[in-house]
Amino acid sequence: MPYFWTLVRTSARQQMTYRMAMWAGLATNLFFGLLRAAVLLALYNGQPVVNGLTMDGALTYVAFSQALIAFLTVFGSFDIMRTVYDGSISGDLLRPANFFFYWMGREAGRAVVNLFWRGLVFIGLFALFYPIRTPASFTQWLLLTLSLLLSWLLNFTWIFLTNLLAFWTPDAQGILRWLFGLAQLLSGWMVPLRLMPDWFSRFCTFTPFPGMFNTSLEVYLGLLPGPAVWQALGLQLAWLILFVILAQLIYRAGIRRLVIQGG
Amino acid sequence: MYTFSIYLRLLRAQLRSQFQYRASFWLDVFTTAVFSGVYFLSFALLLERFGQIDGWRLGEIAFLAGMTELTFALMDLIFSGFDPDFFAPNVQMGRLDQIFLRPVSITVQLLGSRLVLRRLGRALEGLVILLFGIFASGMHWTLAKVLYLPILMVSQIFCMGALFIAGSTITFWTVQRVEAVNIVTYGGVEMMSYPMSIYPAWIRRFFTYVLPFIFMNYYPALFFLDKPDPLNMPAFAPFLAPFVAAILFWLALRFWRFGLNHYQSTGS
Repeated sequence: MPYFWTLVRTSARQQMTYRMAMWAGLATNLFFGLLRAAVLLALYNGQPVVNGLTMDGALTYVAFSQALIAFLTVFGSFDIMRTVYDGSISGDLLRPANFFFYWMGREAGRAVVNLFWRGLVFIGLFALFYPIRTPASFTQWLLLTLSLLLSWLLNFTWIFLTNLLAFWTPDAQGILRWLFGLAQLLSGWMVPLRLMPDWFSRFCTFTPFPGMFNTSLEVYLGLLPGPAVWQALGLQLAWLILFVILAQLIYRAGIRRLVIQGG
Repeated sequence: MYTFSIYLRLLRAQLRSQFQYRASFWLDVFTTAVFSGVYFLSFALLLERFGQIDGWRLGEIAFLAGMTELTFALMDLIFSGFDPDFFAPNVQMGRLDQIFLRPVSITVQLLGSRLVLRRLGRALEGLVILLFGIFASGMHWTLAKVLYLPILMVSQIFCMGALFIAGSTITFWTVQRVEAVNIVTYGGVEMMSYPMSIYPAWIRRFFTYVLPFIFMNYYPALFFLDKPDPLNMPAFAPFLAPFVAAILFWLALRFWRFGLNHYQSTGS
């Protein structure tokens, strides 16, 4: 366990080194945020509420979705895949930690920094342009924290799982890019699921993806009444457990196929 | 002529290397097409609930977005060597010095240094969306439109190519890749995929008077789709695209030459 925290701390420090990249990332997020806000405002065209989502709720969605890009690694990551291809995984396998937890520690450090810099700071910046809502009560903040934690874990495990494909194919990048795109759509990150056609959002609820973004959004906006919140969080947890079990099984099957060349 | 034959030869080498793994290549083209299509699909689904955006229906938006996708992808293919994300490491690693030593135009070498055929996938996706837009919007063809369409597409390719060249030139000074360039390139494409009338006035003014993107896609689309102009520009606004593109491309080349003359190697 102490090794896990060391990993978190080191990768957080590493992430903080790139200040310029941080600001550039913020500027890019802000520009795309303003564009997406303009699109949603034009779509709402003065209607106060669409399918339970108010106009300022929709603007808040834009802020929230842009703020979490870096924290949740919405565009995906190919880091683990690369270590398989360039052989550096052999070093990582020698570390005194389970491979899954080793990467979780590294990613967690990055995520904490990104949650603050690309998340909170971003929401502050965005609020200069458009009014946004914040959770109303302490309980809601607490629920949001829980849901965000589960979202993060789900996203991490999803990225870990998909990257394991590298054990089976010599060029997984194309498939991964496709899978990450699919997750962006089905998780409600591209468009909140409430604004999608009903048949589409209903389809999504049968997949693990809404737990990766949409659930946290609904908790943040307080759209889920009493028991529905717990049900949503429970669903996130259930998918997470399934993902973790799958990750362990697939990892164990894949690692036996691993051949490291050269040396 | 000699330079041109060199360019063709470089391209042929690129094509041959990428066709080595034929199945993997076509799979890549296909997944790229589907992947890029996801963004338009998400917007189409969104429109199913709202019906229209600022008076534009799905078919009309498809025309606007498909056109941008198609020309951006073709530009990305032709100007791959100038993609700032690809070019910056050349400067960083000092690989550009090698290119300087060869007795052929540097610009031609860079143009021939990379041709990412996978991007044909995105072009294919753009073409499908554009064709869908032309049919679904019930566009009425005239001789002027038939003549203007290819001119417009070439103009868009050069306009966006100018951005790639300028973005790469900046790295002569910054050495690192400048992420802000992506705001103008990828952000610009994203922006041009929607009717410009929806943006806040200050953003629209910037893209009218500073970087005149508004004449590259929005105004031509108004002309092709016979839509009224809510911003009251002069009637020739839809036909400014070739001139804007020519000026931007000329400026970008000037900047590129200026950068080349002031290039100092990183010394690695």
